[in-house]
Amino acid sequence: MNTLLKFCGMTNYEDYSKAVDSGVDYIGFIFAKSKRRVNPHDVHKWVKGKPKKRHQKLVGVFVNETIETIVEVIHACPIQVVQLHGLETAKYITELKSSLPAMKIFKTVHHKQSGHRELKDFKGYVDGYIIDTKTEDMWGGSGIAFNWESVPLYTAEAMEQGIPCFIAGGVKVSNIKELMNYEPAGIDVSSGIEEMGMKDERKMKQMVELTKEKYQAPDSLGRFGKFGGKYVPETLMHALEELEDAFEAAIADEKFFEELHREWERYSGRPTPLTEAGRLSSYLGGANIYLKREDLNHTGAHKINNAIAQALLAKRMGKNQIIAETGAGQHGVASATVAARFGLTCKVFMGEEDMKRQELNVFRMRLLGAEVIPVISGGKTLKDATNEAIRHWVSHVEDTFYLIGSAVGPHPYPKMVREFQSVIGRESKEQFIKEVGKLPDEIIACVGGGSNAIGMFYPFIEDDVSLIGVEAAGKGVDTNEHAATLTKGSVGVLHGSMSYLLQDEWGNIIEPYSISAGLDYPGIGPEHSYLRDQGRVTYESVTDAEALEALQVLCQYEGILPAIESAHAVAHAMKRARELGSDAKILVCLSGRGDKDVHTIQGVLGGNEYE
Amino acid sequence: MNRLLDPKFVNKTKRFVPYIMAGDPTLEASIDIALTLQEAGVDAIEWGVPFSDPLADGPVIQEAGERARKLGMNIERAVDGVKLAREKGLTIPVILFSYINPVLAIGEGRLLSLMSDADIDGLLIPDLPVEESDSIRAECRNVGISLIPLITLSSRDRIEKICQNGEGFIYFVSSHGVTGTRESFSEKIADSINTIKKYTDVPVLVGFGISQPQHVSYFNTISDGVIVGSALVHLIGEQKYALMHKRDKVEGLDKIKEFVLELNS
Repeated sequence: MNTLLKFCGMTNYEDYSKAVDSGVDYIGFIFAKSKRRVNPHDVHKWVKGKPKKRHQKLVGVFVNETIETIVEVIHACPIQVVQLHGLETAKYITELKSSLPAMKIFKTVHHKQSGHRELKDFKGYVDGYIIDTKTEDMWGGSGIAFNWESVPLYTAEAMEQGIPCFIAGGVKVSNIKELMNYEPAGIDVSSGIEEMGMKDERKMKQMVELTKEKYQAPDSLGRFGKFGGKYVPETLMHALEELEDAFEAAIADEKFFEELHREWERYSGRPTPLTEAGRLSSYLGGANIYLKREDLNHTGAHKINNAIAQALLAKRMGKNQIIAETGAGQHGVASATVAARFGLTCKVFMGEEDMKRQELNVFRMRLLGAEVIPVISGGKTLKDATNEAIRHWVSHVEDTFYLIGSAVGPHPYPKMVREFQSVIGRESKEQFIKEVGKLPDEIIACVGGGSNAIGMFYPFIEDDVSLIGVEAAGKGVDTNEHAATLTKGSVGVLHGSMSYLLQDEWGNIIEPYSISAGLDYPGIGPEHSYLRDQGRVTYESVTDAEALEALQVLCQYEGILPAIESAHAVAHAMKRARELGSDAKILVCLSGRGDKDVHTIQGVLGGNEYE
Repeated sequence: MNRLLDPKFVNKTKRFVPYIMAGDPTLEASIDIALTLQEAGVDAIEWGVPFSDPLADGPVIQEAGERARKLGMNIERAVDGVKLAREKGLTIPVILFSYINPVLAIGEGRLLSLMSDADIDGLLIPDLPVEESDSIRAECRNVGISLIPLITLSSRDRIEKICQNGEGFIYFVSSHGVTGTRESFSEKIADSINTIKKYTDVPVLVGFGISQPQHVSYFNTISDGVIVGSALVHLIGEQKYALMHKRDKVEGLDKIKEFVLELNS
């Protein structure tokens, strides 16, 4: 868990600006009698001059103030949290809340013996606590630490109330690690980041680095929090261990990367362009939309990024037979393609239902020299094709490489697919900064298993950018026909990893539905489940009808026919563009082109007047 | 008392353990089959729980699971079926065979308490490798149920780690692949079993693909017994109409008994 960090007592624009840049979670201004007291109109000017980051919150500190004065200050400057640092009572807080109903309230409790019991008096009234040392002549900011042995008591009580508790008083760069041993939920620093009365940029950065863990999921067992892992028959365990070793060695080997980048560049046509959707944006009348053009890859979708990389890995491991599962046929086509390119034999498992729906892709795979194996178990779609591919792998584990197409499956697949698809996000970041001069405000990608989304999101995960995954709502999330795993699913194990799933009360998997065969999967990559639960990525859903509408708009305004999968992301971007102001920039991962879907689209929209 | 740890099972040689799918063709028939198997002298029964996505199973057991699921079989009813079988006189050890997802859906704690209540002795989860099994193994120990581990030809240097946690018996998977009958077996099986014996005294039973009397007698020479699944489940599938009707039931059960006696002769 990351420890929350608050820097308090900004007294001038420079200090405030350094605090914003440091990435700290809360920035505090003191409106009470103090050597650090500031004027709300100045704060207003500073914030206008330099907007805070999205995750940051501005805190106003008051001591035994009248409610009218607090309200006046709040009207004068953009504060999100009021910190009451004196002897305010629960009754006073109730009155304050009736004047400022949306305001978050933090209450300072001054440390004393059994002080944690005092927190009970404010249960339900406040949104957070600060525990500070009170000296005889000062309400706080004395720079004196209390005995941290009692930190766990405060933290536990606040946690029980479901709110954070910040430890203040005498925290410095030199002792913050010691404080963190007591596992506080938050830390509040004021004099500890000052040098000669001014806030010190280096100290701020050090504090942030000391309290923030880098994003480093999955762990060595392949766990993203509780998600992921390896839930497979024992027969596959050795193969997975072998794969993991080979994968880790490959990505540490420059030669492997050189070859991979050469193939991406000269065979698949990377880097794919970033296209500003100017006419679409002005039609919508809001934010500017940019499209990362994965549809311009060889074979027409992002799937080839991963297929090339895994095929190179298979070759490196001396395995000449690859197998793959496919739903719509995009990953099957990508696998058949790389098998031809690298001289490997290829078997593609495909549900019989999907083979009927995607006849052309079946022919295309066969043309590329792959064997397409019809799957007749279960619902005869992607889930069953995956089961059958795993069964085949179990039988031929010594000489066969299973080329999984999405960020799903047992460890190391979710990590490996993320690594190989991250080229999408890395390129996007570089292109965006070059063309727009800053990072996008929001990034939107569609999610089935989640490979294009994780590839796009991962390089931005520690940046100040909103990330939104879009699931397929099919005919609506309140019907039985959808594929909205995160919106409607529950935690379970499918295809080797723990994640959210669509399942019945007895743990049997429910067949999903979406017009797009690529989003029609009852599970989701374990990292998405983790990012959802962590709150780092937001997941929304878009219906068949909304996706088809977006698909037509993109055709008509930009001359781009997206895959129905990608049209889900476009549909949500259209919603968001109208909601956000014209200053905002939205980046959409256009994961694939819609040529494969023309038949399906025609079936829904009509227009086949010659039949 | 866990019957897998009882001297009767521990000291037996040439153990014969059949697998059947609970609820195929009906729960009542499964109970009759279990009692018939006991009469035929089998040493324990693996009692299968149907699941929508059984990725370690071949077509025979997949289809049996679909038949059972169609009639509403689920993990809770399957456990309840053992309780009914116990009431009707089933005294040999029973091992519940379920994929991990139904176990998680009902909840590990709740499942184990239902299993204790039904006098079930072991639990086998084919998609739960040793790395993922610590928490459920601890819960199993608390209630005296053995968590049966699997070892395969590809386990290699994993064998020692798996044996350390072995209890009841060790299920040795004879071949790469899913359940189903096979014609031939690798000669390396005997070597692997010898390796296992270096690390544990727990009996090692061989399963996957065993369908002929000569398979049974061969594995009885190199291991502590056999597990027979698909071949029996296939026969039950053939006899499903007989087994579902009062008039023909005895005939169906007799065929099952004959099959076991012949296989285990």
